[in-house]
Amino acid sequence: MKTNASIWVLLLVAYGAIPLTLGSNHYVMSLLVAALVIGGIALAWALLGNLGGMVSFGHSAFFGVGAYVSALLTLKAGTPIVIAMLLGGVGALLASLVMLPVLRLRGPYFALAILAYAHIFKIIATEWTAVTGGSAGLSSIPRFPTAFGFDFSGKVGSYLIILSVVLIFALCYRLIRASDYGIALRAMHDSEDATRVIGVNSVLLKALMLFVSAFMTGVIGAFNAHYINFLEPDYAFNGLWVTLPIVAAIFGGYRTILGPLIGAVTVYLIDQLVFKSLIPYGHQLILGALLVAMILFSPSGLVPLLRASVRRNHAAG
Amino acid sequence: MNRLYKKTVGLTLLAGLFLGCGVAAAKEFLVGVEIPLTGSLARVGAGMNEGISVAVDIFNKTNGKHTIKTIVIDDESAPAKAIAAVEKLASQEVVAISGGYGSNNIAPASDAANKLGLPYITSGGVDDSLVARGYKTFFRINNTVGYQKAMVGLIDALKVKSASIVYSTKEATANLAKDVEKELTTKGFKVGMHAFDPAITDFKPIINKIKLQDKPEVILMCGYENDYVGILRAAKVLKPKVKAMIGVWSLATAKMAADFPDLMPWVYGTALLPFPAEFKTADGKLFAETYQKLYNKEPDYLGQFGYVQSLLLFEAIARAADNDTLHKGGVAEELRKTDRETLVGRVQFNDKGDNINFVHRMGQHQNGKIGIVWPSEAANAKPNFPAVPW
Repeated sequence: MKTNASIWVLLLVAYGAIPLTLGSNHYVMSLLVAALVIGGIALAWALLGNLGGMVSFGHSAFFGVGAYVSALLTLKAGTPIVIAMLLGGVGALLASLVMLPVLRLRGPYFALAILAYAHIFKIIATEWTAVTGGSAGLSSIPRFPTAFGFDFSGKVGSYLIILSVVLIFALCYRLIRASDYGIALRAMHDSEDATRVIGVNSVLLKALMLFVSAFMTGVIGAFNAHYINFLEPDYAFNGLWVTLPIVAAIFGGYRTILGPLIGAVTVYLIDQLVFKSLIPYGHQLILGALLVAMILFSPSGLVPLLRASVRRNHAAG
Repeated sequence: MNRLYKKTVGLTLLAGLFLGCGVAAAKEFLVGVEIPLTGSLARVGAGMNEGISVAVDIFNKTNGKHTIKTIVIDDESAPAKAIAAVEKLASQEVVAISGGYGSNNIAPASDAANKLGLPYITSGGVDDSLVARGYKTFFRINNTVGYQKAMVGLIDALKVKSASIVYSTKEATANLAKDVEKELTTKGFKVGMHAFDPAITDFKPIINKIKLQDKPEVILMCGYENDYVGILRAAKVLKPKVKAMIGVWSLATAKMAADFPDLMPWVYGTALLPFPAEFKTADGKLFAETYQKLYNKEPDYLGQFGYVQSLLLFEAIARAADNDTLHKGGVAEELRKTDRETLVGRVQFNDKGDNINFVHRMGQHQNGKIGIVWPSEAANAKPNFPAVPW
């Protein structure tokens, strides 16, 4: 009951209080949009880790493919942006099909193999000049349209789009986790062999989680392409699209659903608004120290730490 | 008497009011600097930022009326942070923005500036799509065409007829390589093209292919510092029979001469200045003096570009303030009217904000120094040709 109430309060703040109070502050709104982009990838990355049991270093491949598919569809075929974004997700899902052979690998071997795929996609984007524009990239990618008299290409509009996308993904994550598949996937974490003995098709389930994670990351990549309006291979397939989300997910608590999102928003905003004001050049040092402290004192992340703190207060009260 | 006194005072005040309306008061203007000071573009961003600081110092001492104060924000070499930086600068009420490095950062940052109606001037992005947008607020003082003219101009002057181009697949280098190839092919040159991934460090297979298959008279290199070092090391090992090694940006610099004395002799690259720096104009001498005073070192090309773009912007701001059009789009209008000799040559902007006169110069590493060898009107040394580092 209390959890439901806090979710409603969070939604009210996210959809009501923030646009109303900070909507005119373009700077803070652009930081929030960037943080939610990181948060969206962090969520998809954590889903693959928690449900699929796979640690990926190659999510930049899905991000880049989704971005390119959506940008090209809107630029060359005139596809409406909403459909193009969904097809960007589908493009990333299709890209993940070629990664199926590496599902046989585990741990660092899987992580490194998927990283190699990201590099392959980057080379394709660079060399396939006729379609992708090669290293020169794509510019003037269409912005979000005006609908119902509201300009979605503005800061508040972009914020509402990315917020809705990541919350829908969080809901999907929750539904998958609560389903029979989710139970089977969690059982696989303890013993994959044991779950296979009782008839669970572990390879199929892992593949499905890879598809879901790839789709989510692709849609986020597509959003970013229409938000930034410029795309080139180095940027679209940059390693930062996986390292920053991993940091955010671990900071927030990658075992929880909202942890990666809260981690991304917290890390990004604290770093840009507080640490950057204190040390304009080299503020990442403080962020690094904070991350080390978090891992040492609360390895499960910020959200579990906050929950434990709330429980302690209730017990004391 | 009392009435006459009152009338006189009244008329004097009225005259003062009229005069006051005609002449704008001296003011300090805030200018935003959005620039990468950390991340992958930190070195080039810092170089440009030094030039911007020199421009502030010189403008404030020489304008005599207005002064400029800059607010610098590090965009961390990231597009999303470049947008945030522009928006933060706008909220701090800057009148224009100078800076930016890398087309992928400049494109979204200048887009954000355009939406906010802020003029944005740069020398850090040569991608043609930046000017193709046709923004009235966007200006840049250099472009790929200027580098292409310099490279092709030198090749013409050296009277060679075949070349192999080794180029990084990065946006700026790939575009330049293809443009140079196109022009040379049109002129009847035999041109071999060899692209490489920016991640590679061993250039021996490419150089070997050039040596055995292309057999060109010169090797052209379109890359960055690490690429040049790799290419020249491979060439020094394999010793292809070429007459010259010619590169572009970040090659004919004092730093490269000092760091790689065995690889640089007789190598060509774009250079605005000879080394040791020689300035013939009063403007140039003042720039070098101020740069030396502020940073205790010789000015480089990054500083020179940052200085020129910022000084042009500050002058436009001052003119717009004097015309009382500062907040009515006057800065962009004044920038568009620019027609001035600068340290990078004559600057005039077309309707898309591109400098139509930009032509780079070519320098050659000569015994630890850098001589400007092309064009002849800017040259202070003769090209040593044929000559290679091995």
